[in-house]
Amino acid sequence: MAVPARVTEAAEPVLRLRGIGRRFGGLRAVDGVDLELYPGDRRTILGPNGAGKTTLFNVIAGEFPPTEGTIELFGADVTQDPARHRAKLGLARTYQQSRVFDGLTVEDNIYLAALGVRTGHTFPFRSSKRDAPLRAKARAAAGDVGLIDRLQSMVSGLSHGERRQLAIGMARAMEPKLMMLDEPAAGLSRAERVTLIELLSALPSDVTLLLIEHDMDVALRVAQSVTMMHEGRIIVEGTPAEIRANKDVHELYLGSRYYDE
Amino acid sequence: MSATVTRGRAGLRTGMTWPVLIGWGVLVAVAVVLLLAPQIFSAYDLSQILTQALWLGIAAVSVTFLYRYGGMVSLAQVAIYGIAGFAMGNVVHTINSEGGLNLGWTPWAGVAFGIAVAVIVALLFGAIASRSYGIYFLMITLALSLLVFYFFGQVTKLSGFGGIRSISRPGFIGDPITDPKPLYYTALGASVLVYVLLRYVVRTPFGIALQGIRDDPPRMRSLGYNVPLHRTLAFALGAFVASIAGILSVWFNTQISPGSINLAQTIAVLIIAVIGGLSRLEGAWLGALAYALIDYYARQHTPTLGLWLNPGRFATIIGLVFLLIVLLSPDGLIGIGHRLRDLAGRRLGTPPTSDTAAAREEQALPETAGVSTASGPSSSGGQEP
Ligand SMILES: Nc1ncnc2c1ncn2[C@@H]1O[C@H](COP(=O)(O)OP(=O)(O)O)[C@@H](O)[C@H]1O
Ligand SMILES: [Mg+2]
Repeated sequence: MAVPARVTEAAEPVLRLRGIGRRFGGLRAVDGVDLELYPGDRRTILGPNGAGKTTLFNVIAGEFPPTEGTIELFGADVTQDPARHRAKLGLARTYQQSRVFDGLTVEDNIYLAALGVRTGHTFPFRSSKRDAPLRAKARAAAGDVGLIDRLQSMVSGLSHGERRQLAIGMARAMEPKLMMLDEPAAGLSRAERVTLIELLSALPSDVTLLLIEHDMDVALRVAQSVTMMHEGRIIVEGTPAEIRANKDVHELYLGSRYYDE
Repeated sequence: MSATVTRGRAGLRTGMTWPVLIGWGVLVAVAVVLLLAPQIFSAYDLSQILTQALWLGIAAVSVTFLYRYGGMVSLAQVAIYGIAGFAMGNVVHTINSEGGLNLGWTPWAGVAFGIAVAVIVALLFGAIASRSYGIYFLMITLALSLLVFYFFGQVTKLSGFGGIRSISRPGFIGDPITDPKPLYYTALGASVLVYVLLRYVVRTPFGIALQGIRDDPPRMRSLGYNVPLHRTLAFALGAFVASIAGILSVWFNTQISPGSINLAQTIAVLIIAVIGGLSRLEGAWLGALAYALIDYYARQHTPTLGLWLNPGRFATIIGLVFLLIVLLSPDGLIGIGHRLRDLAGRRLGTPPTSDTAAAREEQALPETAGVSTASGPSSSGGQEP
């Protein structure tokens, strides 16, 4: 099943995976995955729990290296590069469990996200006064994700939904070219999901989005294309409509109770 | 929820709540007592309790800083101040050439050299230890502490177990035994400078990033930070602070030997940081004062009670008092202080400060205790992948 043709086909891919595999002992968590994303793509990865989606994210982000295959980001082979280099190239990600900094305020969390991809934070005595523009950016990102009233709150006191919002605010503050979100809707209320869909739909059109999502509403509304994974492999790719109509997908996923974590 | 924040901020901005006033009152009183201490206390008390507490506090605050803001439990701080002390002791003039190289440098050149050596060793060592977390980091720093102890014990050219004696001091300090005032004010000034420096650093981009690393190192990596480098630099900053304590301790004791930096001293400095309270930097000096006081009185006044207690067992008393403090308040003396302040504030008719930004900061202790907690991503493994 072909991925829909697009005008940007000629451009350099944002992300190109070739034969990516990752083993944990005898387990092939990811197995022979090929994937290409072009600027502005909105792609969702679907798949039951244990399909290897998060592992694939970890490999792309540089959390650990793949056991097979190569990863290209923005045209450069980054297979052996550390995670922080990939962040500096323009990759931002969120985690399945919103990984935020509990001992800091909301503003400091987003500020750290904006600061990391820049230089100068390894000099202990550099004044924070010079960072007024970054602070402004952090506050703006907090506003974008609906946390403007919570700027000075400690993150340890946030609700689950607010932590999710914060995680996305942090990813946005990095101003990435490729944004990878791991189940951003998990555990959100219906109203919070609507906000999330609006938030994701409002991303600048040149930002490439790779999404892992169980929630079909979010997954199929935000995405232009869908990749279905099962037991570490990609089994189907297509448009949301094609995926909805696909028999295998139904058997594996939509008909089952997999989306309840 | 936003109401909480607004109330907290308003309380801080107007600065008129009782707990805030009590806080300022305590600060002013402490400042006055510290400045007038030489007029208030006997020369012996000034030296043995206050000067001792000030330099021990500087050593302990390097532990507090690394833990509170970096999530690192370091047992190497005493070894590091030992390195500074031995390095200085070797290069400066020692009267009658009692141990060490006795290169005859001026005292101030010795200070610069001692601090530089300690910081350089910390950078090298930090580069090794910075990929370890929790109990593994603690064990590596313990190894450094033992290594330094035996190094100076066995390399007799540099020290030997007898140590280096009669190390010369800058002229203005004079002889602390006959006139303890100059050294007292020096230690006080150094403490204030160290405190201000650390308070400043933790709000710089570096300091905030360090707190991010404390909370979740892999997350910081994926935000673009060089986590091992950052931790190494924080460790070196902790070493810089500890080395100041090392210099002061040599001036205080006029000598240094491996016995001054043995395991007991390593543990003593850790205890000082803990009983003071790890949630705030001030806790280090509070803990050091308590330590100096208890040490002083227990040695003098431990009664004889049958077979099991006599003046020779003053250490038992010290241990019991520390146990009591930690049991009464998990956040040490700082925690007791906060509770007293809030209690007094409530009596005087204003709500406690528990909603203010400052109070929230006080409560935000790192989860990566290293020794006791096994949860959280940062304490889950010894080495980064
Ligand atoms: N760090 C790890 N060590 C060992 N096994 C792992 C690790 N991470 C994931 N796995 C295993 O790999 C498989 C895929 O997991 P994961 O990528 O989290 O799936 P998904 O995100 O699609 O639910 C699972 O069987 C999981 O147990
Ligand atoms: Mg997953």
